[in-house]
Amino acid sequence: MTERENLLALLRHEPYDHIPVEFNLCPALERTYREREHQPEQSYADYFGFPWRNVKGLVQDDPDLARFLPYFEGLMNDRVTIDSMGVGHESTPTSMHMTKMICPLRNAETVEEILAYPMPSFSAENNTGLAAEVQALHDRGVASAGNMQCTVWETAWYIRGMENLMMDMMTDEEMAAAMLDRVTEMSLQRALLYARAGVDILYLGDDIGMQNSVMMSRELYLQWIQPRLKKIITAVKAERPDLIVFYHSCGYVEPFIDDLIDAGIDVLNPIQSECMDFASIYKKYHDRLCFHGTIGTQTVMPFGTPDEVYQAVRRNLDAAFDGGLLVAPTHMLEPEVPWENVLAYVRACREYRP
Amino acid sequence: MSILTDISENLQKGKAKVVKQLVQQAIDEKIPVDQILNEGLLSGMSVIGEKFKNNEVFVPEVLVAARAMNMGASLLKPLMAEAGVQATGKVCIGTVRGDLHDIGKNLVKMMMEGKGLEVVDLGTDVAPETYVQTALDQGCQVICCSALLTTTMCEMENVVKKLEEAGAHDKIKVMVGGAPVTQAFCDQIGADCYTADAASAADAAVEICKSIA
Repeated sequence: MTERENLLALLRHEPYDHIPVEFNLCPALERTYREREHQPEQSYADYFGFPWRNVKGLVQDDPDLARFLPYFEGLMNDRVTIDSMGVGHESTPTSMHMTKMICPLRNAETVEEILAYPMPSFSAENNTGLAAEVQALHDRGVASAGNMQCTVWETAWYIRGMENLMMDMMTDEEMAAAMLDRVTEMSLQRALLYARAGVDILYLGDDIGMQNSVMMSRELYLQWIQPRLKKIITAVKAERPDLIVFYHSCGYVEPFIDDLIDAGIDVLNPIQSECMDFASIYKKYHDRLCFHGTIGTQTVMPFGTPDEVYQAVRRNLDAAFDGGLLVAPTHMLEPEVPWENVLAYVRACREYRP
Repeated sequence: MSILTDISENLQKGKAKVVKQLVQQAIDEKIPVDQILNEGLLSGMSVIGEKFKNNEVFVPEVLVAARAMNMGASLLKPLMAEAGVQATGKVCIGTVRGDLHDIGKNLVKMMMEGKGLEVVDLGTDVAPETYVQTALDQGCQVICCSALLTTTMCEMENVVKKLEEAGAHDKIKVMVGGAPVTQAFCDQIGADCYTADAASAADAAVEICKSIA
């Protein structure tokens, strides 16, 4: 079985051959990988044999980001960059790979300002190489994924500001609807391009959980966010019923799992072990959902011993008695994670027989 | 219904403009400023804080309530100075050095203001010495440190150390919080108080300020 065949079988609850490994390293840990594994060239995804690769980001119809500059008047300096959605990011000398976000519509007061925002658009004409790229991945034996996390809620608040958008949702419905609809429309264009190019996986996500609670009430979630997510998934699955939809949200999301299933997701990530008990979530939802993640990056990965990491991986694979678990660290691995713990995770996966 | 109850209830619904009008009306009716603050604005915010702690309301409800509180409080502030009304205590708050996450920190700040505390917001990526210097210069009883990352939470220990170096740990206490922070971590670094949520943090800060004063 190729990595791709193995992964797709696992996610479709069919017999599969081995437990795949998959994780994300911060730049500092990637340097550790190169030193410790003596790999100056090869990517860690190739070295460890990850089951999928993201296809490259889509090209916007108007690639000139200078159109966003008016939103950052007086704020631009050599530490500020503007991303493809028009959101500003300011780095600081101490913040490593993280940046301070500057939301372009933070001061908007009218619907007109939201409608005037030069939101990116995406079309097939400007993304002609996509299908060939997907095929090339499949020919290599790895699955292909269109990564478009920050699907609705997060991109909308990155542009508008989280507090502003939440308050709009509570007290200014026209503003909230304009913002969320525009992002949904854009995400739908992107999702359809990926789906039509033949990707195996569409990786969606919006953080809607906090450490011990959800970010908003279920009423608000069902009023504003879930229907828009569902609209996107329904449209892509109408064309590609075989497409596997991953969905990421940090934190505690248990109260929303039924709603996410209703929206059409197939795989939930990351089941943060510090916030939710994987074994009980699995029991409740395994017949309708697969899982990706479950190994805590706030606890065992940075602070556990290699043996504790090894046991955590085995424990969760045992708990997933009916399969459907792609076991992995719950988030990007940060600089303080010992390299031995990463290797212990890999060893636990490789030594486990499904 | 008394006007103060009316202020509290409209605040809980996040009706900022109504709250502002009612506060002005209460001022015009010569209701004492501290009574408008405590029985109107802070009483409403206290209900929201409790409901937030019990997962009956969530961040959006807190945000609109806090906005209403701030609009009402903006009318009271100049009068409070005249009337000699004192805050319950003073806190300086910030996200630790190397960490830019501020959503949790902002929520704690709102909850603390909702308990009548004066809060000095140092923002994100705050150096240990900045917390300590600010607390000393501005007479804060509490330093409140937030971190989202396992990478940056260790900076909290440096804040405690700086405070001890300054010989001020007996009169200024250190509170810690944020997703990866635990009671065990708080004990280990010699901080004074850990709370798991924003509303409990505000309650704890009020208690600390009372015990120091």
